[in-house]
Amino acid sequence: MEFSQEIKDKISKLIEKYPAGQQKSALLPVLHLVQDAHNNWLDVPVMDAVATALDLAPIEVYEVVTFYSMYNTRPVGKYLLEVCRTGPCMLNGSDQIIEYIKEKLNIKEGETTTDGLFTLKPAECLGACGYAPMMQLGKTYREHLTREKIDAIIEECRNSAAQLN
Amino acid sequence: MKLLLDKAHIEGIISYDVYRREGGYESAAKAFKMTPEAIVDEVKKSGLRGRGGAGFPTGMKWSFIAKPEGIPRYLVVNADESEPGTFKDRYLMEFIPHLLIEGMIISSFALGANTSYIYIRGEYAWITDILDHAIDEAKANGWLGKNIQGTGYDLEIYVHRGAGAYICGEETALLESLEGKRGNPRLKPPFPAVKGAWGCPTVVNNVETIAAVTPIIRIGGDEYAKIGVGKSTGTKLISACGNINKPGIYEIDMTISVEQFIYDDAYCGGIANGKRLKACIPGGSSVPILPANLLLTTASGQPRMMNYESLADGGFITGSMMGSGGFIVLDEDQCIVRHTMTLAHFYFHESCGQCSPCREGTGWLYDILKKIEYGRGKMADIDLLWDVQKNIEGNTICPLGDAAAWPVAAAIRHFRDEFEWHILHPEEAQTRNYGLAHYADELPLVAG
Repeated sequence: MEFSQEIKDKISKLIEKYPAGQQKSALLPVLHLVQDAHNNWLDVPVMDAVATALDLAPIEVYEVVTFYSMYNTRPVGKYLLEVCRTGPCMLNGSDQIIEYIKEKLNIKEGETTTDGLFTLKPAECLGACGYAPMMQLGKTYREHLTREKIDAIIEECRNSAAQLN
Repeated sequence: MKLLLDKAHIEGIISYDVYRREGGYESAAKAFKMTPEAIVDEVKKSGLRGRGGAGFPTGMKWSFIAKPEGIPRYLVVNADESEPGTFKDRYLMEFIPHLLIEGMIISSFALGANTSYIYIRGEYAWITDILDHAIDEAKANGWLGKNIQGTGYDLEIYVHRGAGAYICGEETALLESLEGKRGNPRLKPPFPAVKGAWGCPTVVNNVETIAAVTPIIRIGGDEYAKIGVGKSTGTKLISACGNINKPGIYEIDMTISVEQFIYDDAYCGGIANGKRLKACIPGGSSVPILPANLLLTTASGQPRMMNYESLADGGFITGSMMGSGGFIVLDEDQCIVRHTMTLAHFYFHESCGQCSPCREGTGWLYDILKKIEYGRGKMADIDLLWDVQKNIEGNTICPLGDAAAWPVAAAIRHFRDEFEWHILHPEEAQTRNYGLAHYADELPLVAG
């Protein structure tokens, strides 16, 4: 596969942030960029194209993609609900929030709803412990979660998906 | 006394114009009239200690940087804030980004770095945009780029976004990640001060540490050192969370007591829902948990204070650590076994897998704790947990192993009866929590 000219230009910009000859350093930001542009996951052709763009062996890309939790190696729903379950969120009821989402969307942890809209992915500490329980949704944090807030978030996602269609 | 958050409430302080109007970039202007050595001296005099968790003296760390001719040096700011309970750096970057940028300009000038990076955790995606914008503003106003303010000094700052890995908060894993690799910590020596980013001398400092350089240059190292007590100089950001009335970020001058911090309305405002205090992890999830009695009073009977020395009083037997300032409070209804289990899962998930004691041991700890939590534990499992954590501690390349071992060790040390109760009453333990036992029976609901 080949990246669009827009992506190629952005990759060149990212490489400029690092010392000459160290284009590998741009790997993490480049992976964020192409993942955002490819339905929020990275398949092998995309990873291989990243390797070509940065003049790396494909394995150098695969080993990085599988190490970091934010890169998805399988398709995910349009809205990825990443609910924190670590200590401070647990103390404030994250277990119940995760159970509620499972029940409401009828999916297990790591699964995607049949309409392809939602994936539930329990996450480890996201650095929002004072605003627990919380989740990451795209580029934003949703904090002080309650059942009502989960209802509203899911409604909001469904509405925005309907508008896009 | 506030030095970092004193202007946080001012409307628009996120922007260059308001920050500048409120006296921002005056420290940078002052620093450019000093020699780099004089700036390092001020930071040494200030007694500033690394705010990421280790508490190493910053001025000393700076003085280790190698200065070979013709080789670039780098400053890398560690914004990979991921220690459970810690969310203070986020606050600084999100609301007063120019304080960090100004601190970076001063620090880079002192270290002789012409390129500096902010390594930010990938999940803080919107903060990356805030920082990029702040950098653009600083550049447009002549504080970054070529020949800054006519001094002949050049500096570029770039933001590098991680992608979800706690281990990248360890400075050598962070450098690996900056270089586009897996976040596997490096063997030391060589230390980053000699061989860091791309093999060049590098200083890695926490966001709060670098932000604190700005007020240090403004008021002078000696004045900064007068704040606080003993070797706990200046102010510290505490991110308070858990079962308290007022979770959030508090800037303290390290002279207040833990009791005051928890119960005073100026800080945590007491335990939520009128409950009693059971336990607390005072410095991020890696440091030992303390039961209420030892948290508020040291083993020698002194009130425990919110500073490096007092929190560590008694070592790991009866004390804990200041760590990153991630202050996690547990009320009487919380289950120590379940809480320890979630933390064990965290370290299991985050182990980079490089050293076998950590890769295997963290999984064992989680499995055994899960057995006990779900009513399938045996008495011998408590000793097995102790044995496994002991075999991780000190046997790994980086401190993640220790960080995974300490919470388990402290939970057993102080709450062994609760583990035993879980094992002896597996069915009852599924329906109710153990409660307070002897930890806090006589403690007040409110201060005084």
